[in-house]
Amino acid sequence: MNHLRRLQYLFPGYRHQQERDMEAELQSLQEIAAEDATRLGNLTLAREDARAAWGWTWLASLYADVRYAWRTLRKDRVFTAVAILSLALGIGANAAIFSIIDKLLIESLPVRDPSSLVLLDDSDSSYFTYLRFAANTENVFSGIFARCSDARDVDPGGGPTRANVELVTGSYFPTLGVRPWLGRMLGPDDDRRGNPAPVAVISYGLWRRRYAGDPSAIGRTIRVQRSPFTIIGIAPPELFGVVVGEAPEVWLPLSLHASVFPGRHWLDEPNTNFLELMGRLRPGVAPQRAADVLTPVLIQTEFDRSPDAPESVRAEIRRERVNLIPAATGISWLRYRFSGPLRIVFAMVAITLLLACLNLINLQAARVREHRKEFAVRLAIGASRLRVAREVFTESALLALAGGACGLLLCGPLAHVLLDLMSPGDPIALGLGLNHQVLAFVAAISMAAAILFGTGPAWRSTRGEILPALQSGSGAAKASPASRMLGRGLAALQMALSLVLVAGAILFATSLYKLLHADFGLNPSHVLVLDVDAVEAGYQASQSAALSQRLVARLAPLAGVESVSFSAVGIFTGRNMNMAVEPVGQPKPANPYAWYDEIGPRYFATIGAHMVAGRDFDERDNLAAPKVMIVNQQFARFYLPGLNPIGRSVAVEEVDRKPKVLREIVGVVKDLRNAGSRQQPAPYFYLPALQTVDIPFSTRFLIRAAGDPRALYASIRAAVRAEDPALNIISLDTAGELLDRGIGHDRMMAALAAAFGVLALLLAAIGIYGLLSYEVARRTGEMGIRAALGARRADIVRLILSEIAGIAIVGIVLGGVAAFAVSTLITRLVFGLSPNDPLVLAGAALILLAVALSAAYWPARRAALLDPLAALRRE
Amino acid sequence: MAQRTELLQGTLDMLVLRTLLFGPLYGYGIAKSIQQTSGDSLAIEFGSLYPALKRLELKGWIAAKWETSERNRRARFYRLTAAGRKQLTREQSKWQSFADAIARVMTSEPESGQS
Repeated sequence: MNHLRRLQYLFPGYRHQQERDMEAELQSLQEIAAEDATRLGNLTLAREDARAAWGWTWLASLYADVRYAWRTLRKDRVFTAVAILSLALGIGANAAIFSIIDKLLIESLPVRDPSSLVLLDDSDSSYFTYLRFAANTENVFSGIFARCSDARDVDPGGGPTRANVELVTGSYFPTLGVRPWLGRMLGPDDDRRGNPAPVAVISYGLWRRRYAGDPSAIGRTIRVQRSPFTIIGIAPPELFGVVVGEAPEVWLPLSLHASVFPGRHWLDEPNTNFLELMGRLRPGVAPQRAADVLTPVLIQTEFDRSPDAPESVRAEIRRERVNLIPAATGISWLRYRFSGPLRIVFAMVAITLLLACLNLINLQAARVREHRKEFAVRLAIGASRLRVAREVFTESALLALAGGACGLLLCGPLAHVLLDLMSPGDPIALGLGLNHQVLAFVAAISMAAAILFGTGPAWRSTRGEILPALQSGSGAAKASPASRMLGRGLAALQMALSLVLVAGAILFATSLYKLLHADFGLNPSHVLVLDVDAVEAGYQASQSAALSQRLVARLAPLAGVESVSFSAVGIFTGRNMNMAVEPVGQPKPANPYAWYDEIGPRYFATIGAHMVAGRDFDERDNLAAPKVMIVNQQFARFYLPGLNPIGRSVAVEEVDRKPKVLREIVGVVKDLRNAGSRQQPAPYFYLPALQTVDIPFSTRFLIRAAGDPRALYASIRAAVRAEDPALNIISLDTAGELLDRGIGHDRMMAALAAAFGVLALLLAAIGIYGLLSYEVARRTGEMGIRAALGARRADIVRLILSEIAGIAIVGIVLGGVAAFAVSTLITRLVFGLSPNDPLVLAGAALILLAVALSAAYWPARRAALLDPLAALRRE
Repeated sequence: MAQRTELLQGTLDMLVLRTLLFGPLYGYGIAKSIQQTSGDSLAIEFGSLYPALKRLELKGWIAAKWETSERNRRARFYRLTAAGRKQLTREQSKWQSFADAIARVMTSEPESGQS
């Protein structure tokens, strides 16, 4: 009742009516009690107190404050625009990074009790290993599942589109505790290898888009890679699988792997690692205990997987330990790659926002000084200090709120730009949006910013004696030594923070340059990489070498093609294969496993690699010829130390071929380096593709063009189609594009660091310009006296510049120390130079000094050009 | 002013309710009535009474209406509501027990003997 009546007073109409009523009542009383008017007492106070009884005075005065602040800000448009813009950029960038970090690093999987989920090891496992774990982990896991995923052709009717498909064991949905939106999810029955039912669960999104949310979608047929599957259920809308940013459209039983990966029999290959295993810990089981229980299972499985392993390998297997990784937030390659860079970027945007706030402190403080007289008048006629301070703070809070609101608008676009930088050409489905975490974050940092740049000036607005402020003649009152120190301190702090950012920008830019121009051991310009999947088109492994040769024969004569070769791995791409090697006549190597590739004739000539010794492969290195191999320099150093490798024999343990094959080394190639790799090149060897039983992967064709490689795209695609229309071109890129993709996060870091470096410089310049402009205005009289006494213009300019140089040097020294202190954090992110490279710091210091001096130039010039007479008259 | 009794905190509301028990009054009339009934020892400045009236009105214990006064002037008359009547009973009994307690303490004989 009471509260309801109170709420009425929130409506201006009601309040005004009550006001009028009160006015009339008091008026009538004054007439009635005219004879003893003094007895009525202070009616103005009575009015105030009566309004207080309505209970909304705080709101009314807040409203008044906001209106007042709004008017002041509107009067000072340039200041307001600069303040809001810099805050919006700062807050928006912070919110954008936060929203990505929130999705990647913080948000839990939308499944039952995500905190008890663990990922078994950070590398992939085989189906063989999964079965062993599934049979031996009941004591520690209440459930364990295996999953893999890939982009496949999905066709709900009406033509296939590429979509992510997740293949899972039947334990996937029960272990995660995901309940169907409709129908049923996959279950243990779907694990049967013999004659499994072709069933599929589709995503809520696909159901809405392609089936208009019609429940009768269940029972219909969906084709994945041309194989038909019957839809049995719709997954709940929030489920995005267990890989962040992947969002599969279809879930299929892993038992049907071969029907969507034709020609691949990975379930039957104990040594093909393609699955991620996740388990749910039983209540009360600590991850460490579970790992202890699982380790013997892992070791036994490893022994069974490679029964002929030499003793050195067996010793290594015995040392293996199961590593359980908390998986509450799911699996994320983005997280593994970007969590480090993102944290650094977060630090950079936070510093940028801090810089913007420091500028606002200075600007607000200057405004408060300008309005000192006004404040003094108000204090003199009885306004409380708190009230005046509150008004100044309201102004800051209003600015922060406006900045925060604009920042929210910028947040989405900025986040998408960032995601594009992180993964160019391969969109990441993070489902970014304005959720309540982001809103809360923006509200929190806006408030923090308001407190940071609002409290100081608000407090200062009420300090100081009233009388001197009233007496002083000019609007720009004299600043106390303390406030001048504060201004300079803030400027020095800005310089220090800017130095850190500028040094970071130089570091990351240099690092990127070095990565792009690193010695890859090959010449990537004019090279195209064409990835063709013959296995999917139904070719047997035994046919693939012949097919590759036929394709080479079609591609080589094309106009503009200089040279064509092929390989299983290709350049600047991720695909790792290793085999055990044993040089004949040498002691058994400590680690017999070396990386290898199977390459076509003239491979090294095509990619522009340098043969250190011996020769490249050619067409004569076929099945009929002696078995040969080429090794890299590191291989020679590691397995044949101090020997001439040419002519040596190496026993190679090739897949499905026993006993080991003896091969003669016919060439040594300079070490090749992968894109973005920070590691030393590893031992690597190359086998002629014409001499091997091909592995069931796609084949990568390397094409060296005479001119612009992009001009060849159409003719290359046509040539592949002419060979066999069923051949799927997975990708066709220039080597440069692949290199770019391989150094995605380096490019992102460099771009962002450069952007923030420039922003920091800009903010620092604004800060110094503002500080000096104010100083010059304040010291007009002093300059006039100096000029009158015979100081030349150059002297005055020097005076001002030396002051700013002092501030800059203090800032640069502070910043240098800070940069040195944080440099260890980015050691792993930079390439080719030390993160505390003195040259980088020196360069950053020089840039900063130059910016500071040029920002100081205009105020200094203004001081120098003062007319001494006019300046003196003003005093 | 100095000889006048100062009003105890929180009793003003009760006095207003009690005064209105005898019939509706306008604002200044309430102040005068309290002063007269108390034999001039309680002088209540209208300035401090007025916010109390607004408070009581908001709580629903009194209601106001424009009426014509004895001297044919329009004035805002306050009257006790049913809720106000109940409140008055509550406050009166609370006040009574409070006053009794104070009186007992103030009139008690000093006790002799050990504590």
